[in-house]
Amino acid sequence: MGDSQYSFSLTTFSPSGKLVQIEHALTAVGSGQTSLGIKAANGVVIATEKKLPSILVDETSVQKIQCLTPNIGVVYSGMGPDFRVLVRKSRKQAEQYHRLYKEPIPVTQLVRETAAVMQEFTQSGGVRPFGVSLLVAGYDDNGPQLYQLDPSGSYFSWKASAMGKNVSNAKTFLEKRYTDDMELDDAVHTAILTLKEGFEGQISGKNIEIGIIGTDKKFWQAPL
Amino acid sequence: MSRGSGGGYDRHITIFSPEGRLFQVEYAFKAVKAAGITSIGVRGKYSVCVVTQKKVPDKLLDQTSVTHLFPITKFLGLLATGMTADARTLVQQARNEAAEFRFRYGYEMPVDVLSKWIADKSQVYTQHAYMRPLGVVAMVLGIDEEKGPQLYKCDPAGHFYGHKATSAGSKEQEAINFLEKKMKNDPAFTYEETVQTAISALQSVLQEDFKATEIEVGVVKADNPVFRVMSTEEIDEHLTAISERD
Repeated sequence: MGDSQYSFSLTTFSPSGKLVQIEHALTAVGSGQTSLGIKAANGVVIATEKKLPSILVDETSVQKIQCLTPNIGVVYSGMGPDFRVLVRKSRKQAEQYHRLYKEPIPVTQLVRETAAVMQEFTQSGGVRPFGVSLLVAGYDDNGPQLYQLDPSGSYFSWKASAMGKNVSNAKTFLEKRYTDDMELDDAVHTAILTLKEGFEGQISGKNIEIGIIGTDKKFWQAPL
Repeated sequence: MSRGSGGGYDRHITIFSPEGRLFQVEYAFKAVKAAGITSIGVRGKYSVCVVTQKKVPDKLLDQTSVTHLFPITKFLGLLATGMTADARTLVQQARNEAAEFRFRYGYEMPVDVLSKWIADKSQVYTQHAYMRPLGVVAMVLGIDEEKGPQLYKCDPAGHFYGHKATSAGSKEQEAINFLEKKMKNDPAFTYEETVQTAISALQSVLQEDFKATEIEVGVVKADNPVFRVMSTEEIDEHLTAISERD
């Protein structure tokens, strides 16, 4: 992955032992639009704000929530172009797994491989880290799962999480509302309410996106 | 403890600044504005029209070689605003990609696919230190077989969106304000209305009336989806129609 002339990493340790480029990448994520995910007992929901730079933009041409496989979806906060790169790489990895093992890739495996790509870009020569955090929602033989991946390449499984501008308020709201035995419908409702909390302006079907996966293991986007 | 501005390199190559910004990308946007040209694109119900200024800095220059409007394939056009040299590189690569697509898959490359390809390439330049971002904003237009007329704008950051109308260049924001007012109620423009909205937007924002030789106009129409650069006579007709209308 090292680039010509740049056989050295741009992400290096500071005297205090921090990788400042990764911290800056997290700042970039923190100034992105809010997105969140909630894991219910029988499914997962992910949602995001879709604020477009102008009313002249055709909102049907923008899709922030993408599916990586028929049973895994993903949303991001941060830099859209970086997100597209990760989606493309993840989809390819999922396909390669399927070709080799003739079964759909488990969510944890896909998350691990995507995180490995993100980590590569924090260590390879001549590249910068990705300026996105991802929320991966999937349903496989291990049930419903929600993972958050950070620019450093670290990932954790969450019951509910939020990222982006309004992260602290959103997380507080989710902590209050979350219950372990939540149903998927409740989770969708809570997700919309959480988005509404920090929303500037009028929330409507045109400026948010919702992705849902239930026991049927098919990831779909709610047409609002 | 944060080490401050990352050793000062965050302004030279595309690494993050402490605030999480990419200065090189922001400077690329400034380079687009510095070129001193404004472009406008408008999508109508059955057609798309793009307009840009044609500034020939020297009378000795061959005017036909000064252009920002490039056909990529017979059906796709690209209007490049910003640094001309970067534009030519982009156009060359886009032409190659579109031709390979047609060869590989057996059908014409759709507008959104080409725009995505351009945007993904731009993203690579924002992440890899060995290449700087291009100082070009590209507007891609064409008629999509399923979705009808399409206008996409790709910028140095790697963003791309479909637009009902948009602008790029030095007076970008003023033009967008003008267009937002015009397109507020989702009008379904005819071909003439589309062209005239685009040209009059440019005239209003730059506050001057043009001669046909001072602007370039490119169009695609649904009934004849070939990308066409308008001749000076045709531009003249539209300019006259606009001035009579006002």
